[in-house]
Amino acid sequence: EKNISLANPTKVELTCKLDENSNLKNPQVTWKSESETISHTSKSQNSWSIQLTISTSSQLGSYSCILKGEEEISATFHLQVPKIEGKEKPIITYEGDIAVMVCKTEYAAMAWTWYKSNGTKLVHIDVSPQTDKFQIKRQSASVNRLEILKLTKEDDGVYWCESAFALGSSKGRFELKVLSIMAPLKPFLAVVAEVVILVTTIFLYELYSKKKEKGGEREFDQIEQL
Amino acid sequence: PAPAEAGRAPGPPDGGWGWVVVFGAFVSIGFAYAFPKGLAIFFKEIQDFFGTSYSEIAWVSSIMLATTYGAGPISSILVNRYGSRPVVMFGGLLCGVGMISAAFCTSILQLYICVGFITGFGLALNLQPSVIIIGKYFLKRRPIANGLAMAGSPVMLCTLAPLNQFLFDNFGWRGSFLILGAILLNCCVAGALFRPIGAGTAPVKTQVTGEGKDALKGEITEDGKEVSNPLNVTTENKTEEEEGKDCFEKVNQYLDFSLFKHRGFLIYLVGNVLMFLGFFAPIVFLAPYAKHTGIDEYSAAFLLSILAIVDMVARPTTGIVANSRWVRPRIQYFFSFAIAFNGACHLLCPLASSYTGLVVYSSFFGLAFGMVCAMLFETLMDLVGAARFTSAVGLVTIAECCTILLGPPIGGILIDTFGDYKYMFIKCGAVMVLAGTFLFIMNYYNYRVLAKEEKERKAKEEDPKSVRTENEGRKDWNKDSTQDGPELEPLREQAEGVKKEMNGT
Repeated sequence: EKNISLANPTKVELTCKLDENSNLKNPQVTWKSESETISHTSKSQNSWSIQLTISTSSQLGSYSCILKGEEEISATFHLQVPKIEGKEKPIITYEGDIAVMVCKTEYAAMAWTWYKSNGTKLVHIDVSPQTDKFQIKRQSASVNRLEILKLTKEDDGVYWCESAFALGSSKGRFELKVLSIMAPLKPFLAVVAEVVILVTTIFLYELYSKKKEKGGEREFDQIEQL
Repeated sequence: PAPAEAGRAPGPPDGGWGWVVVFGAFVSIGFAYAFPKGLAIFFKEIQDFFGTSYSEIAWVSSIMLATTYGAGPISSILVNRYGSRPVVMFGGLLCGVGMISAAFCTSILQLYICVGFITGFGLALNLQPSVIIIGKYFLKRRPIANGLAMAGSPVMLCTLAPLNQFLFDNFGWRGSFLILGAILLNCCVAGALFRPIGAGTAPVKTQVTGEGKDALKGEITEDGKEVSNPLNVTTENKTEEEEGKDCFEKVNQYLDFSLFKHRGFLIYLVGNVLMFLGFFAPIVFLAPYAKHTGIDEYSAAFLLSILAIVDMVARPTTGIVANSRWVRPRIQYFFSFAIAFNGACHLLCPLASSYTGLVVYSSFFGLAFGMVCAMLFETLMDLVGAARFTSAVGLVTIAECCTILLGPPIGGILIDTFGDYKYMFIKCGAVMVLAGTFLFIMNYYNYRVLAKEEKERKAKEEDPKSVRTENEGRKDWNKDSTQDGPELEPLREQAEGVKKEMNGT
């Protein structure tokens, strides 16, 4: 199985090659798309290929070559729009801080749009100069950046980044979590308390053992004088 | 007579509270070596957050490493002046402050300063004193103590890596830095354990130094006379000392530059500087190389875990082996062998193409890496003695700093130019085999010259072995005194002073 990403209309050649050591001799080969059989195939020694011109999104999908002989083998090509790398794990940010979501694809996208999930609806995110809340930066043709400033608890939730290609669009998912400053402060104070307690204990123990030594020495001196 | 008694310092405890100190050093050294590596988990997120390139983020790590090694001499000077404990506690505090302020950073430059410089400097103040204090607490069992303390690095790395991941998943990078700052404060706890030892008392020292000087001048012959005029002698000599000391001698008091005349030290320096050129690069590129040969990400990460686990076990084991009767007198040869073994592993690595082959390579690499690290400071202590080790370690780390930083980038350039990892492995292997052979030959030469000097010294003196000094627990270990020049070092231990006094008699 193979995945091929196509962003723009293009011509593709798919080839199925048979291994020389295979048991299959002179098989019968058919090429199929999801719905129909393709007729314009070409053949050379032990390899069969088809040529496709992909110009609309409806032409995307799975194409497979089937070799029939004593056994039946097949291979599938998935032609699809480029996928977006989202983030599976939630992004942790804090109130008052900035949240950054970076959307990346392999190929240059024509347009980018960002949405926030509100229940089942998707709310479009506008960058208007008045609100000064969102900033969308275009780092390159294939990388897009959403910055959310002055975070509050309400900004918590799921965000979508949609990139539009000539042959369709794809979405990436981001989850944002906004925590308060108190969240990391508790473990922090716990560790600091542990450090202070340990250091104090060590020093106290040292003073105690020194006192014991000095007491012992004094006895020794007295014995010497005698 | 009082001065002679007070001057004869007891040998290092070689146990008791010493093992608690080893634990403290374990923690301290562990943080110093493992913390920079553990930070790598946060880099991708920080890179996205600030919108910088990968190399700009990598600078954080490099600055941290450079500061930790480059601040070595400063650390040595501070330890010479104040002792290990205050320096480590201050270092721990500095690390904590550095990371806590890093949690509030708003630019990559601030991160360079907070994480790179401040935390790096704090870690430098942790690393050196921990190694130094082991030399003060141990003599007979020093290799074991060193091996155990150095094992802190892989253990801390194995603990920090999942901990950092957990903190990151739950608190993001800012919260994690805050909590890591608190965790680094535990270095202060380690420092609190470093009870001062062997420093003696200041008045005794000045007395003995004064006596030592007079002994060289050949004026005083009896102990009794010295007892009756300690104050006069001391104050008289002190004014002489202050006038006689020029700037160079004052600097020498804090950082012993006379080490550059010490043959053993120079051999160690050249060998180690060469070795570090190929030491760290294979670790940096092991996972990428594994992925390059088609292995999936988790198995590649597992290779590093194998390395760390073998490393963890190898270090104390090497310490025990190095402490044995057969190896200890020839510990320098063992060290050279370990380096050459490391090099041989790298040279054979390109032959390993399957996953099993890489697993075997990782295990042997872990073993060799642990062996070298366990003996890294032990061999230096062995060559220069515990007294001058403080300055020696500072000078060595700043020299190593350059090659440590150059190693991985040079490896990276080789990989990019040839598109193949094997040249990087060959380069690292060759450099280390060369370093190992160099150390082996030069130490063979050094041992012979020392044996000759020892014979000459025995011929001159009549009763050379009556004084049992701190550094000379074994008969064939007069390297320290033979290598010391006639210059006065106020930091030389009382034992030496007493010895000179007796020689003058």
